[in-house]
This record gives sequence, structure tokens and C-alpha cells, in this order.
Amino acid sequence: MSAASPVPAGRRFADILLRLRALVALCVLVVVFALLSPEFLTTGNLAILVKHVAVNAILAIGMTFVILGGGIDLSVGSIAGLCGMIAGALLSEGLIVRPAGIVIYFHAWLVVVVALLAGMLLGAANGWLVSRLRVAPFIATLGVLYVARGAAMLMSGGATFPNLAGTAALGNTGFPLVGTAVWLGVPAPIWLMAALAGAGMFVAARTPFGRQVYAVGGNPRAALLAGVRVTRVTFLVYVISGFCASLVGLIIAAELGAAHPATGETFELNAIAAVVLGGTSLMGGRGTIGGTLIGAFVIGVLADGLVLLGVSEFWQMVIKGLVIVLAVILDQFQKRSS
Amino acid sequence: MRQSSRYAGVAIAAASCAVMLACSSSEKAADTSGPRRIAIITPSHDNPFFKAEADAAADRAKALGYDVLVNSHDDDANKQDQLIDVAIARKVAAIVLDNAGADASVAAITKAKQAGIPTLLIDREINASGVAAAQIVSNNYQGATLAGEEFVKRMGEEGSYVELVGKESDTNAGIRSRGFHDVIDKYNKLTMAGRQSANWDQREAFQKMETLIQANPKLKGVIAGNDTMALGAMAALKAAGLGKVIVVGFDGSPDAIASIKAGEIKATVLQPAALIAKMAVDQAHELIRTGKTGQPEKQSIDCELVTAENADAFGVFGRK
Repeated sequence: MSAASPVPAGRRFADILLRLRALVALCVLVVVFALLSPEFLTTGNLAILVKHVAVNAILAIGMTFVILGGGIDLSVGSIAGLCGMIAGALLSEGLIVRPAGIVIYFHAWLVVVVALLAGMLLGAANGWLVSRLRVAPFIATLGVLYVARGAAMLMSGGATFPNLAGTAALGNTGFPLVGTAVWLGVPAPIWLMAALAGAGMFVAARTPFGRQVYAVGGNPRAALLAGVRVTRVTFLVYVISGFCASLVGLIIAAELGAAHPATGETFELNAIAAVVLGGTSLMGGRGTIGGTLIGAFVIGVLADGLVLLGVSEFWQMVIKGLVIVLAVILDQFQKRSS
Repeated sequence: MRQSSRYAGVAIAAASCAVMLACSSSEKAADTSGPRRIAIITPSHDNPFFKAEADAAADRAKALGYDVLVNSHDDDANKQDQLIDVAIARKVAAIVLDNAGADASVAAITKAKQAGIPTLLIDREINASGVAAAQIVSNNYQGATLAGEEFVKRMGEEGSYVELVGKESDTNAGIRSRGFHDVIDKYNKLTMAGRQSANWDQREAFQKMETLIQANPKLKGVIAGNDTMALGAMAALKAAGLGKVIVVGFDGSPDAIASIKAGEIKATVLQPAALIAKMAVDQAHELIRTGKTGQPEKQSIDCELVTAENADAFGVFGRK
């Protein structure tokens, strides 16, 4: 918190320790599940597991930028739901131009682009509220959470768009590939997660923008005096988060072949949990994308492993809560000792 | 400071415009001199089942000359309580309610009764009698045994299967599971390889099914406590190249019936939600006119099995 410069030497050591803590937890979980369930370490199961992790990890990567910049984004789950519904509406009903009475159907890839732009626009709304109007991030994104969820429900009167396969005659088939395509034996959501994680790590650690995010989150006043355009940086982190959220909405809709307006409820909490488990400070300015990935894996391994073992839903919730709290307690110990 | 207060002014102006717009549309409904009004309160319309029952009730009430007040409590007993307060304040003639909890709803319904407003329950019972004017529910247990029998038949009375249970805090999740097992457990060559709750949710069922497939690659069947979970499981099975696995759901939703027609899901059990909603409004009408519903308080309506053979005969939660 006190240091405004991005990665001083002492902090780097602490960061490594923090990252190791989550990594140790992850290794323990993997070993425990491997011992208890013979199916856990099969390639098939691991591929599925990583695919399940991808959804939360992508949200958490966007969330990491927001939290590093000293904010929070509660609207990601709703944005995911709304963007899935936008894709669903464009694919099954087309864009209806009322005065002209024309219905325009987009190519599946254009639908993806429109939905991603919609997500970035909602992120921009968050960013504008926080950076320009100085609304507290918690409140601004809570507002967008409700607006986006309501809008998703309004798009279909609460109904599901049940079939997103598209129609060959309309030339809009292929959308489900976003979630179901397999390249080189690896499902598309994993590729998307890997690409975003790589880009996120590069941006956070190696670019001026990344360093500015750390600076703004660590001490906005000092960052401003050092010539960082704080407003612009704050705005952009929410756009990144909105983009990640809409991508998640598209992946889920594509996997299910259906868009449901309630998709993504409480996703924001899982994403925040992954970020915090990964050692990022909720106060901003400290943390890494790599840590967040490990955090997302801890949550994902726990969820899938407990299903494999046949543990009841209620115990799954209790155990997940305990692991999150335990990880943060360890975080406190380590901060005190370093 | 000046800038932020200007923004605040704009925001307040925009908000009050929105409020005025909202008011102008509800202004008419607030007029008490017009026809009598029935309040229809159900869980969230994002589930087509609840939308269908709310629509059916509203259509019937309008046909009988009532104004309607349609709201959703989102399975939140506190929100339901507030909606019932609103209904009492607006002096509705009757409340048609799909309640938010067997125990948590009793107090709110009692409150309406004390205010002289009868409540007719649909879809879900409460753990009290003599409070509601009627409790009309589909027979979940009978429906579950129907689904169980069809499942056993399709499985050829043997093989391993997985059960997806609904939200475990919901009474119907338990009743349906009991109905399934009372039939299936009689066949000892049918073995349950896994049992997980997917909280009535399509995406959760999809993910849990993917994991369960890993643990049980020789899976032959899936029985699900509702159709959205059955559809989620079906999507996961298809993606894993296991589209032949026998999937049976519950509810009779239009999406599930479409899937049955496409040869994917094998069967579901249709809850006559539209019929039940219509019955509740008819009995409310009778009660308002004569002081009696003419029916016992607890009424149980049987569910119907839907398979590829008869799928064409069904519409939105009812026979066409």
C-alpha cells in the first residue's frame, strides 16, 4: 500500500511468497483429490476441469485489473448474462429495425463482436460513473448490476433463447463453436483463457499502462502528481472487465446452445474470491494476474473434486467458504511477517 | 463541486422523468372505482413455468372482468411479504399466489386473511391449513413416479444412472427425488452412480454433468428433478459424444418438449400449470361472488407423461 512504485525488490519477494501460498493450497487439493478419486487425474477430467475454471478465470482476470486499480466490479455476472442474451436475440430473432420493418440477421462472428462491444460499453458506463462522476465503485457497479440484469430479462420477457445453433438459410450458424470448438485437443474456452491470461500478464507487468494501474491503485494522489492520467486509467480497467465479462457470457451461451437471462448471478463473488485467493489486495496496488489464475484454479479444483467425490451441495458451500477465509488469514500472517 | 452538483441535477431530472413515466402507466390501475382486482404473485418469470402460470391466471382473470396486478417475489419470502402488503393496501379482491416457502409464507397469508382478502395457492403448498382459501398443486409425487416408471422402462431395468436433484431447500426437490426412488429402487440392477444437486439450473447441470461423465464413462441414464437441469445434462452428454444416454426430466417445459421432438431428451412429466392457474382464478371468482370456492382446500392435480409419441399434443404447460 505505502509503496507507489510498481514492483520494488522486497515486494517482489513477498509477491512470490504470496503466489506460493495459493500454489501450495492448489497442490494440496490436487493430491487429496487424486488420492480419494481415481478419475481425478485422468486427462479427460483435467480438460473438463480447466474448461470449468476458464469461465471464472476470465472474469477474474478482468476483475484483477479493476481491483489492482483500487476499485471493484460487482456487475460482471450481470454483464455476462446480458451479453449472452444479446447474442441469443441477434441469432434467433435478428436485429429488428422498426420503422423500416426489416429484420437483419448477422453472421455468427459479427454477433460475437457486437456482444463484446456491448460488454465494453457497459464497462465504459462503470468507468464513466467511477472516474468522471466519482461514484464509489461499489455503488456504481451495483447500479449497473441491476440495470444489466433487468435489461437481460426485458430482452425476452424472462424467457430463454433455446436454440443458438443458427439457421443455414440465414447464414448465421457456427456460434456454439465459441464454447465447443476444439483446437489441437484443447477446448476453445481454455484457449481463450490462456490468451487473456498471457495478454493480461504482459499488460500488467510489462506495459506503461500496467504500471499506471498499480500506481493508481496504490496511491491515486501520488499517481496524479507523478503525471499519470488517473481518470483515463480508472476508466479503462472497467472497460477491460466489461470485455472479459461479455466473453464469459458468450462462452456460456455457446456451450449450452441457449441463452438464459439469469445466467451469471453471483459470478462476481466467485471472481472476487479468485482474485483475493491469488494474493491481490482488495485495497488495490498489490497483486498479479498469475496469482489470480491460481486462485481460480483453487476454486475450480475444489468445486469439481467435491462433485467427483459425491459430496453434498451444502458441504461444498461450507468447504469453499472455509478455504477462502483460510487463504486470507494466511495472507494476513505473511503480510505481517514480511 | 459545481460540476458534480450539475451532474447531480441532471441525474435527478432523469430519474424523475423515469418515475413519471412509470407512474403514468400505473395511474389507471390505482383507480379504485373501476372493476375489482386480483393480485397474481409468483416466482421470477425467468422460468417459463412461472411465466406460464402467471399468464394463464392473468388471462383468465381478465376474461372474467377483473383488473390484474402481476408481480414476482423471486423466491424471497421478505419480498413476498411486501408484495402482499401492497395487495392489501390496494384492496384487491383475491390473491393468487405461488408462494416463496412452505413455512415462511404462512404469516403473510394469515395477514391477508385478517384483512379480509382470500389467498388461493397454486403450485406449492404451505405447512398450514385453514389459512389459504385453496391450495391447488400438481401431484409432484405422482408425477415423479410416472417419470421413474418411464425411466426404468427405457433403461431396460438395468444399468448405472445419475440423479440431478433440484435445490435441496425446496420441498418439491425432495418429493420428486422420493418419487423417483420409490420406483427405481425396486430394480436392483439399476445402480445410482452419482447424485448431485444442480439447483434447478441449466449451466450448473451442464458443468456437474461434465464432471460426472468423467467419473462414470459407462453411464446409461440421467434422471433430473426438472427440465432445465435435464437440458443442461443433455448438452453436456451431446458434447461428450454420449447423445444416446437416456435423459428424463420433469415440468413439461416447451424447451424440453422441443428437445423430445428432436429425439434428445426421452421423456418429461408435464405439470398442468396453466390449468391450475385457471382453476385458482375460477375458484377466486366463485369465492368473491358466493363466499365459497365450492372445492376442498387441498386439491391435487395429476401430472402427465410426455414422450416422443404424444409430444405434439402439448403446448405451454398444458394440453393444446
